[in-house]
Amino acid sequence: MPVTQQLYMFLRSKGFQLLVVCFAVLALIPIFITDSFFLFVFTLIFIFAIYAASWNFLANSGQGSLGHAVFLGIGGFASAIIGGKISIAIIGFLGVIQMPIGALSVLIQVSVLLVGGLISAGIGLLIGLACVRLKAWYLAIVTFGFSVIAGSLSSQFDSFTNGISGFAPTLFVPGGFPFYILVISFTVTSVAVMYLIMKSRMGLAFRAIRGNEAEAKMIGINTAKYKLIAFVISTFFAGIAGGLYVYFIRFVDNSIFSPTNSFLPLIMTVIGGLGTVSGPVIGAIFLTSVGQILTTQSVRQYLSTSLGPFFPKVGYVGPPLTYLIIGVILLVIVIFSPKGLESQFRKFYKYLITEEKGDKTK
Amino acid sequence: MDITAGTIVLTLIWGVAIGCIYMLLATGLNIIFGVMKLVNFAHGQFLMIGAYLTWAISVAAGLNAYIAILVSMALVAGLGVVIERFTFRRVLGTEKLNEIFVSLGLIYIFENAALLIWGDQSQQIVSPFSGLSLNLQSFSITYDRIVAVFVVVAVLVGFGLLIGKTKIGLAMRATSQSNGTAKLMGINVEKICMITFALGSALAAAAGGLYGIIFSFNAQTGAMPTIIAFAIIILGGLGSIRGAIVGGLLYGIAEQMATLFLGGIWSTAVAFALLIIILIIRPNGIFGEKGE
Repeated sequence: MPVTQQLYMFLRSKGFQLLVVCFAVLALIPIFITDSFFLFVFTLIFIFAIYAASWNFLANSGQGSLGHAVFLGIGGFASAIIGGKISIAIIGFLGVIQMPIGALSVLIQVSVLLVGGLISAGIGLLIGLACVRLKAWYLAIVTFGFSVIAGSLSSQFDSFTNGISGFAPTLFVPGGFPFYILVISFTVTSVAVMYLIMKSRMGLAFRAIRGNEAEAKMIGINTAKYKLIAFVISTFFAGIAGGLYVYFIRFVDNSIFSPTNSFLPLIMTVIGGLGTVSGPVIGAIFLTSVGQILTTQSVRQYLSTSLGPFFPKVGYVGPPLTYLIIGVILLVIVIFSPKGLESQFRKFYKYLITEEKGDKTK
Repeated sequence: MDITAGTIVLTLIWGVAIGCIYMLLATGLNIIFGVMKLVNFAHGQFLMIGAYLTWAISVAAGLNAYIAILVSMALVAGLGVVIERFTFRRVLGTEKLNEIFVSLGLIYIFENAALLIWGDQSQQIVSPFSGLSLNLQSFSITYDRIVAVFVVVAVLVGFGLLIGKTKIGLAMRATSQSNGTAKLMGINVEKICMITFALGSALAAAAGGLYGIIFSFNAQTGAMPTIIAFAIIILGGLGSIRGAIVGGLLYGIAEQMATLFLGGIWSTAVAFALLIIILIIRPNGIFGEKGE
């Protein structure tokens, strides 16, 4: 029974234990920090961690997408619309406005999100078919083009999507802490799954393609097939992130297809470390916290009183300044540390270890 | 809206005028690609900066807008030199994705710096011909659009002479053919790259000035034109200047026609649909050389 044996090995492995510890720590954080703002930021961070990890997964196979917001948006719209239909059906069936709380509603919520991811992956397959032959900036521009087209299509079929004015999806699980637990279970599973794929033979093929596509083809890798697989897996997780995002902020409209959302996972991944597992997560933590801290009430007030007078033409100095700083950080990291913060942490860790060894020999 | 022959002719002329601006932008992007093998996704931000500088100069100094364009071209060329020296040169030759990341960082920096300096309200440059238009029997067209076409032609002719007749142009063409061989022939490739980047930025600034005279613009204006310029050079072939000219005209007309027949929200989406179809059939563009 190789499969069960493998599963047994996996359950006993260090990686799995690490996973459980991660999950436990993440789940326990909000118990100690009860502030609702922190819960908000943490939930957002872990939703973006899935999104950034999905982008990283795609980039790891040599495909840099500039239109990942398409899949964030499709996942979001699909799960929100399907969830809305289901909630109407439930209300019609039970004759009550209240949702049935418990295992059933969690099940509905999870399956709605998974269906959103699957629909996103289906569209991802179609778009991926168009993209497998393209390279570097051709791919970047075509994926970007798809995000523009997605926005136009959503406006065109407004009677179905309601994308112009936007709408609020019906949440099946209570918001706040229960939703946070849902998000981190999704995050830990998604990142773990992507990690396992990246470590498998398939992941090796992806890295080979990223290294040199012609050479990968030469040693017998079906590059088109593997690139397509990477595209579908990545878009599946992006769709799930989209569903979680939409249910979390409880609103969805066409602006979800905006370039800002497409660039977000890229910036997070590059800041954290491209091609690594922890990179996107580090980037998501870093960028989301910077963004959220700079937009808090007190910081905003401080910024507009201290720096506001220098820029009289802008109402709020905060947001443009935040993005300006993010741009500078991105440039500095790409130029001076192309492997991202992850490699810096690793260097620092190594430095600490060697220091200890030095002490022992003395 | 009823579509008459007059509206179609008017749309055609509009398409040509807008196409000319895109053409200028695409030519700048194209020479940078041709010589440095670099796609600067922040090229449209140079257009935006160029438009703002033209506006600021014409307002502050009371200069004629068309002369202010020249000043802003020079300033943006200087900015281009700085950007090339401190960002792109450092990642050139590493992974292709790094160039995209650097451009993205530049987009964020330029857009938000412009927002901080010039505010979030849309501006439009006032030219000597503002509000004047040429009235023909069934339609009228503003003088600014006609002048824009002539300015673009003048700039492109000057640019063509620079590439074709001067020593720097020769060096640029040599570098674009083979970087290594150009080095062996004693060409200072780094200097040529810097000049090329400055030239490309100046062309973007010229496009920006004209754009700002015809349309109103804000800090976010740069994003779409970059993508459109890229679409044009893919239509016309990377590195080919004639291709950029033909592509620019075709694109401008197609965009205006799409707006006329399908409505405003489709104007850019149709362009992308066209681009995507072309790239699916020919992954390296219409006239692009086969990679590897």
